[in-house]
Amino acid sequence: MSKSHMLALFSDFDQASEAIRDLKSSNFEGFKLDDVTLKSPIEHPEIEELLGKRPVYVRIFTFFGALFVPLLGFLFVASSQATFLLQPKGGKPVIPLPPNFVLTYEFFILGGVYMTVLGFFISAKLPMKRNKLYNARVSEDQIGILIKAEDAIMPAIKDLFTRHNPLEIMGGDN
Amino acid sequence: MVNTYEETEVAVEKRFVPKPLDINADIAWAKINKDILRSLERPRPIFWVIFIASFALFLVGVSCEVYQYQTGLGVANLNNPQVWGLYIATFIWWIGMGHSGTLLSALLHIMHADWRKPIYRYSEAMTTFTLLTAALFVLVHLGRIWQFYYVVAYPNERWTWPNFQSPLVWDATAIGTYLTSSLLFLYIGMIPDLAICRDNAIGIRKKLYTFMSLGWMGTDRQWANFRVTYLTLACFLMPLAVSVHSIVSTDFAASQQPGYHITSFPPYFVAGAIYSGLAVIITLFIVLRYTFRFEEYMTMPILEKLAKLTFAAGMVWTYLNLIEYATTWYGNDMYAKQALIYRATGPFAPEWWMMNFLGSVLPFALTFKRVRASIPVMLFMSIFINFGMWLERWMIISPTLAHGIYPWTWDDDQWPSFVQWGIVAGSFGWFNMLFMLYCKIFPSVSMYEVKEMLHERRFFKSTNVATARDPAINPDLAVEGGLAS
Amino acid sequence: MSITNLLNNWSFYRQKRPYQGQYDLNRQYSEYKWAMALDLDICTGCNACTTACYAENNLPVVGKKRFNQGHVMHWIRIERYWDENMGEFPEQGASFLPMMCQQCEEAPCETVCPVGATSHTNDGLNSQNYHRCVGSRYCSVNCPYKVRYFNFWNYPSTAWPAPLPDQLNPDVTVRTKGIMEKCTFCVQRLNEAKSRARTEYRLVRDGEVVPACVQACPTSAITFGNIVDPKSKVAMMWKNQQVDLYKDMQEKDNSVRGYRILEDLRPFPSVMYLERVRDMEA
Repeated sequence: MSKSHMLALFSDFDQASEAIRDLKSSNFEGFKLDDVTLKSPIEHPEIEELLGKRPVYVRIFTFFGALFVPLLGFLFVASSQATFLLQPKGGKPVIPLPPNFVLTYEFFILGGVYMTVLGFFISAKLPMKRNKLYNARVSEDQIGILIKAEDAIMPAIKDLFTRHNPLEIMGGDN
Repeated sequence: MVNTYEETEVAVEKRFVPKPLDINADIAWAKINKDILRSLERPRPIFWVIFIASFALFLVGVSCEVYQYQTGLGVANLNNPQVWGLYIATFIWWIGMGHSGTLLSALLHIMHADWRKPIYRYSEAMTTFTLLTAALFVLVHLGRIWQFYYVVAYPNERWTWPNFQSPLVWDATAIGTYLTSSLLFLYIGMIPDLAICRDNAIGIRKKLYTFMSLGWMGTDRQWANFRVTYLTLACFLMPLAVSVHSIVSTDFAASQQPGYHITSFPPYFVAGAIYSGLAVIITLFIVLRYTFRFEEYMTMPILEKLAKLTFAAGMVWTYLNLIEYATTWYGNDMYAKQALIYRATGPFAPEWWMMNFLGSVLPFALTFKRVRASIPVMLFMSIFINFGMWLERWMIISPTLAHGIYPWTWDDDQWPSFVQWGIVAGSFGWFNMLFMLYCKIFPSVSMYEVKEMLHERRFFKSTNVATARDPAINPDLAVEGGLAS
Repeated sequence: MSITNLLNNWSFYRQKRPYQGQYDLNRQYSEYKWAMALDLDICTGCNACTTACYAENNLPVVGKKRFNQGHVMHWIRIERYWDENMGEFPEQGASFLPMMCQQCEEAPCETVCPVGATSHTNDGLNSQNYHRCVGSRYCSVNCPYKVRYFNFWNYPSTAWPAPLPDQLNPDVTVRTKGIMEKCTFCVQRLNEAKSRARTEYRLVRDGEVVPACVQACPTSAITFGNIVDPKSKVAMMWKNQQVDLYKDMQEKDNSVRGYRILEDLRPFPSVMYLERVRDMEA
């Protein structure tokens, strides 16, 4: 029972979404909707929604970054002011709050942005190696549907794709 | 009353009358790729001429800086009390220009304003490079540039830290945050385009793009994450951009110098920053449109929108400028009032009145449709508005320092020496060089977002989003609970 | 660790200065607070203080050209003001004001220095750390008296040709280009006196140490001392003139002459000037 990949390219986006809708309503043995990957030149929220909700973990990173980095930043600033106790300056307290709030705000943005980007890389699994079933035309104007399925049901899926006028079907033969 | 399918369709169509699109909706997607990738190809000879000219200008700045480094800041003809001169003025000007790129991009992205898409990429790149240029002035103005790292909070065995009370340290933090964040924002937004470049490039460039696009394949998981990330970053960058220039303004607003010590400075600086930034976006818009033949993407309706926005920002700036004068005048603080009178009537009066004219009167020309529709006039306008904004920064710095609280130290006759002018000129060369290199290495128009712009329209036409998403009409979706909008 | 340190000493770190009774002989904070009283009615404007300062603190003589450029380094300067309506004898309308760093308690220059090169010492001086200074000149911008002087040129290599370095004061460093400097109340003398007193288990006596300008003043217009010691001359002068270190905008009797310059900006300067302020508008 080996699994293989197949990529179908469509130039008509409606056909692609129809194909996905068919895949969804079909009940091939051992086939899950999670094994369908859409490859598109632009984002397609309308087709992604057909594929079901796929987890996006970015916001969790953002939340923790925006929460803890400013806290740490404030502690960092305050404790360095306390250790750098050369002398008080300008009659202000050694740990003056208004400047530290300004800096904490910057740390808040910094933490939010950096952790969001980190979360993006982790959640989207970047950087990743491109698998062989990639066609440069996906970045141009075509939409690709990548299927990972058992060899046994591959021909059936291929039939399903063929019904929707794909430009090309790659892989999945052997 | 239950409508039939057709009746609903007609009603929906009527409700959603499509706005005219800012770019031609029938451009083939492959042509978009081709047109924009063409801008990355081997440049025309004129590119090298301008590039070498910029480099020469940069070398002028570098040699002035070397001379100043060797001799001391006296050669810049700075003195007590005029200790800052053009360096800080030009620093604020560059950093202000950097605000429109990211701010505009983030704001319009959050507001789903489509017309941002063809122009945001080069604006963000402009932001990055103006920040890098501004950072040069922070270094150049220091008396001991070789010890600039004292300002950075780094752990060391002496337990010395920067003075976190100083607005200059807030500056360094804010600008550091802004520079790295807007660089990340630019990069993240560029990943899908880098993948396009990777798919079309050969040789060493292929390696570069392969490395930078991180194996982007445009899968739905990647896009979903990308969408969330990009929106989140935009939400962070908007308040950041506002905070950065507010913090730059506290360099002045938090000091005791009359003419600096003004409560309305933070919004005033932010407004001025957006204003001059929009002007430089227009300048670059025209330059790129002409050089790379981007007429189909950087269209006149977009230029017109930019012009209107510039006018709006100019009016905000004018208002805040006038309110600064008014509060100073009616506040009747002796020192501040004197500083204001000195600026309007003293030796800096010609520059001051010119600044007010270029900043507040000139933009009224933008109310005329014929002005907004004429490219040469817009180029002229954008350059002169920016010149006015540079004068504004200079008029904040120099006359104010010349006429402080203490009458014995008043000093009228300081004029920047050739070293200062040379370094200011060198900064233009530096910015030009960086921006030209960027435009030849990375796509200066976002390919995937222009496609999105077209796709929304095409999708709307063919299937009618509203109908397709209505569960009453589409029974499939009713079962799923409808599409989240 | 740091957080424990923060929690334990929070109220100390949050203490604003100057607070009433910050300087007293019981040494809550410090038993020294150097202060000055400068009688403008005695000052003749003879510039002896400036000359003495140049000699004591290794100040470079910049020459006429650089003076006109505004690069002069006089830590204490004699400001001349002229009355406008003196008729036949305009020179009679001259009045003098020696101006040096006022060693403010709430010094505007200290908060804005990005690297913390200038800060407050325990004995109430506004110190300048030359090694730490990066030369952003923000302190000078924020100084209302503009008494901070920036080294626009590399004076150690130009100001003292061959035999002249021999006359430099060995107790004071020479300053290189690109850093800020200002009057220190001759901190080298103060420190020497303080350590001498400490070896003898006593406080510095009144009049034991004075800055060069005070020493050189032929009319004794300047009085210097430790204001914490109530019996010191300077403390008595401050008290008689109803000038309180910790207060701003004080109500005073009409009979006194003491005032501090630009007191309304609340920098709490340590130098009191004595002169009946006549022109109330200025």
